[in-house]
Amino acid sequence: MDKLARRLKEDADSIEVTVSEELDTRIAASLRGVTPERPARAPRERAKPTGFWWASSLTGIAAATAVIVIMNMQQAGEPPAATPVDVVAAVPAFDWKAESASLTGPLQQELENLEADIRKAEEKVKKDIGL
Amino acid sequence: MRTETQLVKDAQAGSADAFADLVRSYRERLLRFLLTRCATYADAEDALQDTLINAYRYIHTYDARWRFSTWLYRIAINNAARLQAPEVVELGELRDEESDPLLLCIGDSDAENLWVTARRLLNDEVYAAMWLRYAEDMSVNDISLALDRSVSWTKVNLLRGRRALDAGMNGGSEESKAYG
Repeated sequence: MDKLARRLKEDADSIEVTVSEELDTRIAASLRGVTPERPARAPRERAKPTGFWWASSLTGIAAATAVIVIMNMQQAGEPPAATPVDVVAAVPAFDWKAESASLTGPLQQELENLEADIRKAEEKVKKDIGL
Repeated sequence: MRTETQLVKDAQAGSADAFADLVRSYRERLLRFLLTRCATYADAEDALQDTLINAYRYIHTYDARWRFSTWLYRIAINNAARLQAPEVVELGELRDEESDPLLLCIGDSDAENLWVTARRLLNDEVYAAMWLRYAEDMSVNDISLALDRSVSWTKVNLLRGRRALDAGMNGGSEESKAYG
C-alpha cells in the first residue's frame, strides 16, 4: 500500500460515526413496516382436466374418420366426365379497333357543356354592366 | 452464526430479522460514506434509512454473483445522488463549515483530512470511486458495478483522482478543473 492509499484509509477511519439508538430504532421500525416485493412470476397455466385430453383425442379421431369415409364414398361413384372447355369462346371478345372518340365521348360532351355555361355567364355579366 | 449467504436467503424469504443482521455491520460504513455526500448529518441518516429500506424491499433482485456490499453501496450512491439533485436541495448553499457533517465528524488534526480535499477536487462519481477503492478496499470490478460504469472508466478515473489528490497534498496548483 503506497503513501496516498494509506493516508486515504487512515483518514476515512478517522471519520467518527455511530448509529445512534434513535436511528437504530427508526430503521428497525421502518423495516418492520416494509414488505419485500415479490419477483414477478409468469402466470401459471391452469391444469386442464383429465377428460379434456380424451375429449380432444376422440374428436380428432372422429373428424379424421369422417373425412376418410367421405373421400372413399366419392371415389366409389362414377367420376364426373371431363368436359372440354372452349377457352376462346369463354373469353369475351374485345373490339380493339374501337374508335377513340367513342371512349372519350362523355368527356367531350362534358367539355362542351362547360363551355356553354361559360358563354351564358359572360353574356349575363355583359347584360348586367350594360355593354 | 449464520453466514452472509444464509442471511441473504432468509431475507429474500421475507425475514426482516435476517436482513437486520445482514446489514448490521454495514450501517456505520454506509453512514460514514453518506456523510461525505450529504449536506447535513440528518440527511445522511435519512439516506441510510432509505438505503436499507430500499435494499430490503428489493432484496429479491439481489444477484448473488455480486458482493452484497457492492449492491448495497450502489443503492446508497443512488440515494445520495437523489438527495443532491438540484431540484431537491442546493447543496453548495446549505453546506458550510459549521454544519458540514464531514467536518463535524473529523477529529482535530494538523493536516486536512484527505477526504475533505478530495471532495473539493473531485466530482461526485470520481470521489465515490476513490472512496470505494481506498476506504472500502473494493476491487475495480466491484467499483465499476457499484457505479454502473465500465472497468476502464473506473481505472482511468481512479488514476486521475489519485493524480489530483497527489497534487493537492503536495500543495500543487493542479486543481483539476475537470473534477471540480
